[in-house]
Amino acid sequence: MNHLPQAWGRPRDDVYGAYDASHFQMSGPTQHSSRPIVTGTSVVAVKFKDGVVIAADNLASYGSLARFTDVKRLRTFNSKSVLGFGGDVSDMQYLDRLLNSLSVRENYSTSIDDSGKSDLDAHNLHRYLSKVMYKRRSDFNPLWNHILVAGLGEKDAPFLASVDLLGTTFSSPTLATGFGAHLAQPILRRQVPDEAASKELSQEKAVELIRECMKVLFYRDARSMDKYSIAVISKSGVDLKEDEKLENQSWAFAEGIRGYGTQVN
Amino acid sequence: MTSIGTGYDLDNSVFSPDGRNFQVEYAVKAVENGGTSIGIRCKDGVVLATEKLVTSKLMKAGANKRIATVDRNIGMVSAGLLPDGRYLVSRARQETASWRQIYKSPMPVASLAGRLGSFVQMFTMNGGLRPFGITAIVGGWDSEGDMAVDGQVGAGPSVGAGGKASGKKYGGPFLYMIEPSGLYWGYYGAATGKGRQAAKSELEKLDLSAGALSLEQGVKEAARIIYVAHEDSKDKEFELEMTWVSGLSGPTKGQHQEVPKELREEAERLAKKALEGDDEMEE
Amino acid sequence: MFRNNYDSDALTFSPQGRIFQVEYAQEAVKQGSVVVGIVSKTHAVLAALKRNAEELSSYQKKVIEIDAHYGIALAGLASDARVLSNFMQQQSLSSRLTYDRPIALAEITHRLSIRAQKSTQQHGRRPYGVGLLIAGIDTTGPHLFEFQPSGVTQEMVACAMGARSQMARTYLERHVDEFEACGKDELIKHALRALKESLSQDKELTVDNTSVGISGEDEAFILLDGQSVVPWLNATFENREGGEESMEVDS
Repeated sequence: MNHLPQAWGRPRDDVYGAYDASHFQMSGPTQHSSRPIVTGTSVVAVKFKDGVVIAADNLASYGSLARFTDVKRLRTFNSKSVLGFGGDVSDMQYLDRLLNSLSVRENYSTSIDDSGKSDLDAHNLHRYLSKVMYKRRSDFNPLWNHILVAGLGEKDAPFLASVDLLGTTFSSPTLATGFGAHLAQPILRRQVPDEAASKELSQEKAVELIRECMKVLFYRDARSMDKYSIAVISKSGVDLKEDEKLENQSWAFAEGIRGYGTQVN
Repeated sequence: MTSIGTGYDLDNSVFSPDGRNFQVEYAVKAVENGGTSIGIRCKDGVVLATEKLVTSKLMKAGANKRIATVDRNIGMVSAGLLPDGRYLVSRARQETASWRQIYKSPMPVASLAGRLGSFVQMFTMNGGLRPFGITAIVGGWDSEGDMAVDGQVGAGPSVGAGGKASGKKYGGPFLYMIEPSGLYWGYYGAATGKGRQAAKSELEKLDLSAGALSLEQGVKEAARIIYVAHEDSKDKEFELEMTWVSGLSGPTKGQHQEVPKELREEAERLAKKALEGDDEMEE
Repeated sequence: MFRNNYDSDALTFSPQGRIFQVEYAQEAVKQGSVVVGIVSKTHAVLAALKRNAEELSSYQKKVIEIDAHYGIALAGLASDARVLSNFMQQQSLSSRLTYDRPIALAEITHRLSIRAQKSTQQHGRRPYGVGLLIAGIDTTGPHLFEFQPSGVTQEMVACAMGARSQMARTYLERHVDEFEACGKDELIKHALRALKESLSQDKELTVDNTSVGISGEDEAFILLDGQSVVPWLNATFENREGGEESMEVDS
């Protein structure tokens, strides 16, 4: 029997049945994600000899409107890993706050003179994120994102993996989300067809490769922008540049497209 | 003269005939038996230091950290019953996490001190609980300018977040001390534990309210004061643990961190020299 | 019957600021048989003396494997130890599932201490009457933590608790500077020797009453019990009287 004051005078559950708790819901109607609203487009990344390069443009589209032009879709975690978010921006913000609070909590248990050996690395972070994404999918309330996790994994080996709104995960030396999967991956794969090739790739070549992919995406992805962020993760930390502009664009190929400009044929 | 609260001191939340809660006063005794802890509010940051008595030769040196981090920019150290101290730290961490969830911004040190004061007080007014056997020193740094909101996308309006009166100074370093009764005050220099009397008189000599002490100086003074306060338990060995928080332009960039080994060892060396100097003067 | 007025529950402070119930819980630890733990730069070892309630009963399990990378040794109320070890096993498993990483020993010890402290500050609850030695390896190397019923936890280089553990501790203090460089074999021998120090004159460490737990970098935590502990006993105590394989009856 519950003798505490909150149960005084309360009819017994086993005699009258339990209260219908749905009448006491203060949180409003239950919501389930049905579609993303403000979205970011592709994220591309490639592993090289000593680390990973990852890039994403700075645009958040509102359907076909290029609405927010200074959105940073590359977010660092623990100054050691970088996540690139494609998809819904508000879900990206939710995950950013969630991971920030995770980072604050993890910071509590590491001792300072530890050289960061027991920090969460990219592999742990990816595993954790995949649990979160899968759980939300199973609730029919997904976080509408496709995320690339880039950083250093076990024994400081370069780590790159993907996790999406369905909780699907995979890993590869080259990865891209959204349109990048169709337009950038073939370019990346031609240079880096397998793990062995990625172990030979230098940082300069990797950065050049990614910049090339960002250029192609701007040519062909209608929801992209020519300003982007690019990050290089290696043993010396994260080098994040957030206001890169695409260079050496050549739109001459457009002349050959039917219907372009004043052409009629 | 303390009166023995016979009959009125067995239960918590019970008033004695002269209006005292004896269980809280006994809890204060537990604090007085603990190792000395101090906090110093310098003009550009806060230093926390504690005297950790070595109870066994088998303890691992340099492990067993007592000064805890709360969120990223606040540190907390207590004197008295260690597990109670840990429990209060865990509550403080919950408070800052829930503040961050609601306001998307770090919790101001003053608000945390208020919440902890109320929490500790609750334990003095409940017959089914006992008071905390610790005095906690909470020190941290609040941001002076605009900070990015948690999860911020984009840069926001170019005029800034607003909501600040012109000419007024916001943010800076803050230091609070919460007693077992739930009473708390803001301090420039705070001390608790066995050697608190000695520590307090040293802190008063520093004239901290003038706001002239730099963080580096504060670290050296904190080490010296702990060594002075340790004189009360001279026969036991101890380990000095020190942490600091500075502003964005300082050495810790707004984070609560342990004082780097070289600086701490230098401060200890100077502290030992100062003590020897005193001894020579006394002879 | 009462030692004083202030010892009836964990909620009462004495006039000197002590909580007697917690101190009495510590006595329960001293009633348990002795356990020893030591760490070196590469390994962590636990050694325990097991007791049986009667001649024909089994010996109380004193060393428990919690996860692949660490284990605990208990002294005191074994049923309280079971509750805490279950908790630790759950937390460790959760860390592997969520982050794919072995839980850091400092972290699990911290969670234990928070849990144990609650029962020293709430009405109707009593402190856990068991002391634990938590030893193993995590990403930052080997660690040994001591857990007391008060919730106080400390990282140690070597430790002993239980009945007559002061002798074991004296042995450990004498050799404390040697431990860091010890290899696996030497470390186990030290632990067994320390354990022997706490035995009464006529007692011996035998196949039935000794347990050893050992873990090293890239080596899982192994529990040595029964026959598997015999080679170590033989290696440590050269002039053992016969009876390694026979069933020793302890009185």
